[in-house]
Amino acid sequence: MLKSLNLQDMRQKAYQALDQRARAITAGLGLNELRALMRGEPPTEKPNPRYKVHTTSFLFHIRPRYYEAGSTILTHTFRLGFFTSFFFFVELFTGLILMIYYTPSPEKAYESILNLLNNVPFGQMLRDIHRLGAEAMVIFTTLHMLRTFLTGSYKKERSFTWLTGVVLLGITMFLSFSGYLLPWDQLAYWAVTVGTSMAEAAPLFGNEINLLLRGAPDIAANGLLRFYLLHVVLLPLAAILVISIHYYKVSREHGISLPAYMEEGNVPPEVKKAARQRIDFIPDLLTTEVFLVSLGILLLVLGVTVFNYHAPLESVANPQVTPLDTKAPWYFWWLQGMLKLGDKILMGVILPTIVVLVLVGLPYIDRNPHRSLYKRPIAVALGVLSVLILVMLSYMGLPQYGIEMEPAQRIIQDMSPQEGAGPLQRLPFEELQLGSYQVNVNEPINMCPNLDFGCPAFEAFFRLYSDRVNQAIRKGDLPAETQAVVVIEDWQKDLRKITLRIVWPGEDGKSKSYERIVYLHANRGME
Amino acid sequence: MNRINLQILLGTIMVLATSVVVLFYGLNEEKRMAEAEEAQRGRAIEQGAALFEAQCSRCHGTQGTGIPGLCPPLNDRYFFDQRMKDVGWSGTLEDYIVATVSSGRLASTRPQLYPGQGTPAMPAFSDHFGGPLREDQIRTIAAFITNWSETAIAIEVPPTPSGPVVGTDITKELPEGDPAAGEALAITLGCVACHIAAPTGPAWLAKDGEPGVGSHAATRITQPDYTGKATTPEQYLFESIVNPNIFVVSGFASGVMPQTYANSLTDQDMANLIAYLLTLK
Repeated sequence: MLKSLNLQDMRQKAYQALDQRARAITAGLGLNELRALMRGEPPTEKPNPRYKVHTTSFLFHIRPRYYEAGSTILTHTFRLGFFTSFFFFVELFTGLILMIYYTPSPEKAYESILNLLNNVPFGQMLRDIHRLGAEAMVIFTTLHMLRTFLTGSYKKERSFTWLTGVVLLGITMFLSFSGYLLPWDQLAYWAVTVGTSMAEAAPLFGNEINLLLRGAPDIAANGLLRFYLLHVVLLPLAAILVISIHYYKVSREHGISLPAYMEEGNVPPEVKKAARQRIDFIPDLLTTEVFLVSLGILLLVLGVTVFNYHAPLESVANPQVTPLDTKAPWYFWWLQGMLKLGDKILMGVILPTIVVLVLVGLPYIDRNPHRSLYKRPIAVALGVLSVLILVMLSYMGLPQYGIEMEPAQRIIQDMSPQEGAGPLQRLPFEELQLGSYQVNVNEPINMCPNLDFGCPAFEAFFRLYSDRVNQAIRKGDLPAETQAVVVIEDWQKDLRKITLRIVWPGEDGKSKSYERIVYLHANRGME
Repeated sequence: MNRINLQILLGTIMVLATSVVVLFYGLNEEKRMAEAEEAQRGRAIEQGAALFEAQCSRCHGTQGTGIPGLCPPLNDRYFFDQRMKDVGWSGTLEDYIVATVSSGRLASTRPQLYPGQGTPAMPAFSDHFGGPLREDQIRTIAAFITNWSETAIAIEVPPTPSGPVVGTDITKELPEGDPAAGEALAITLGCVACHIAAPTGPAWLAKDGEPGVGSHAATRITQPDYTGKATTPEQYLFESIVNPNIFVVSGFASGVMPQTYANSLTDQDMANLIAYLLTLK
C-alpha cells in the first residue's frame, strides 16, 4: 500500500517535472496540450495556451495568431509569398555552408568551386540546391507580385506593403546577380560584365556607378571582392530587414487579403462570416507550414538528384576572350532586349526607371477602389499586356535574336559552342570514330561498321550538321558549293582532336572558311 | 482523418523520402567525387592541348617530339623516366613542367643538343614574369604533357658527326652530294618539322604558285633586300644552314632556326642536304 502510493507520487512528480520542461521549451504548452495539438483536439486549458505562445515566444510573436479562412484558399495565394521566404531561408542555410569552402579571389575562386565539386561530400548537392533555390526565389518573387497585382491586394492600407515588395524584388534580383560572379567562370565573368555595363548607360554617374561596382574599369580582384561582400553581407542584411517590415505589415496590420468575391459587392452574410472565420496559427497553420517546408525540401532535393539539375560551371574566367553568345542572367534579358531596340540612354536607363516608378507608384496611379478582376478590366488588361511584352523583350534579349553572325560561324557555334556543351560535346567518346568526313554529301548511315553497336549518336550528329548546312544553302545564306568537313584525329591517350570546318567560295572567287578545333577527353563527363 | 493528421502523415512521408534520397545520394558521393576529379582532369587536358598547340608546338613539335638542335622532345621516354633524376628535381614531374613553363630557361641545360632560341633559351610564359599565360593555364599544359607519360616512346638523339665538321666558310669545296641521303638526313635532323609539316620556317615544297626551295635558292640571292654573302644557289643553302640569321626570309622570325649545324654536320652531310634541297624546285 505504502509502496504503490509512493510510486504514484513519484509518477506524478516526474510528470510535473516533464510538464514544466515542456512548458519552458514550448513557451507555455504543457504535455497534455501538446498531445491534444497532435491529435487535432481543442485546447485543454483556459485561457487558450496556444495564444499565449504568441506573446512569450520570440519566433512566434512575429507570427499572427490566426488567418481568416478566406485568405487561406489555395487558388487565392498559391502560397507564393510563403515559398519565396522559404527559398530565402534555403539560400541562407546553404550559402552559409558554401562560404566555408569559398575564397573570393580570382586566383582561388574557381579552384575552390572545383574543390567543392571533387573533394567535399554533398558539395555539389549544396551548390546545386543553392543555385536552384536562387532561380526559384526570383521566379516566386515575380509570381507573388503578379498574384498580388491580379487579386488587387496592393490597394489602400496595403500600398506600403506593396512598396516594400517592389524593393524586395530588386534586392532578390541583385542578390541573385551578385552571386552570379562568384564561381569566376566565363559564364559568370561575362554575364556580370554585360550586366554592369548597362549601368554605364546611366547619364552623369554611369561611369562612376560602374567603377564603384567593378572596383576597376574591368572586373578583377576588387570587383570580385565587392560582389562577394554584396552577396554575403549587404544584400542579405537588407533583405532580412525589408522582409521583416514586409511581413510585419502583413501579420500585424492588414493580414492576407480575402478574395475579392468574399469582400466586395453583395456578399451573402453567411459567406462573409465563413470567410472571416479564424484559423488558429497553432496548430493548423503551423502544421501546414511544416508540411509545405517538407514539400519544398523534397522538391529541391529531387530537383538536384532525380531531375538532374546542376548549377552550370564553364571554364575559368578569361578577360581576354569573350565567348560568342554572351548574355546576361535570364531575368535581365528583357533589359538586353530593350537595349537592342534603340538608344542606350532611353532604353537602358529612362524606360527601366519609368517601369520601376510605375511599379512603386502603382497603388497611387490605380485609383480604382475595386479589387475584383471583372471590375478593373483596364488594369488587368495592362498587366497581362506587360507580362507579354516582358516575355517578348526577353526573347529579343537572346543572343540569337538580332545579332548577325556569319552563317558558317552560327552553324559551327550551334554544333559546338565555345562554352558549355553542344551536340558535339554530348557524343559518347567511343563513337568519335577517327577519320575525315564530308558532311553534306553522303547520307550518314552505317558509319561505324567496326563498332559492335554502331554509332547512332555520331550519325545523328552528322545528320543534324548536314541539315543545318543544307538549310543554309537552301535559304541562300551559303553558296551551293559549300563544303562542310569534320576531321577526327587521335591526339593523345584518351584525347581526340576534332576539327569542324566549313569552306565556301566567296564573292571575289577566293575560297573562305570558318573552322573550330575542339579537343575532347574520354573522361570529360557530360554537363 | 482530419486535415492536420493528413498533413502530419504526408509531411512525415516526405521527410522520410527526402532522407532516403539524400542517403542514396550520399552512398554514391565517393564515386561521384572521384569522377568529378577525373572529369576536371580531362577538361584540363583538353584546354592544355589547345594551349600547347598555340604556345609550345612551334618549338616542341605538334606532338611534342621536339626539334633536334632547338627544343627537347617532351613526348619522350627519357623525359618521363630519367629527366627528373638527371636534373635532381625533388618535386613531381608536373611541378617541374609548371616551373619550367612559368619562368622559362635563361640558358639551356643541354646546350650541345638543344640550345633553344639563344638567350633566353626558352621564354617565361607566366604572366607573373611577363609571359602570356595564367598559372591555371600553365597547370593545364602540364596536365596535357604528363598525359603522354604512358604512350611516350624513346626519341633518338641525332648521332654526333663522324669526322670533321663542316664549319661556317660557305666558299668551302664540298664533295659530290647524294639527294636520297640528304632527304633521309633532313628527316632525322627534324628539318621537315618546320619546313614541310608546319609553316614555322619557309616552305621547302612548291605550293600555290610559289616555287620550292631549289628555285628560291637561285632567286633569293638576287633580291635587293638580301643581306647574306652567297653568290651561288649552293652557297645560299650552305649559308642558310650554318648561319641562319644572316638573312631571314620576310615573314619569318629571326633566331628560330638552330645555329649549331656548322658544328654538327660533316662536309658530306652538307653536300647531301644541298643536293636534296636543289631537287625541290
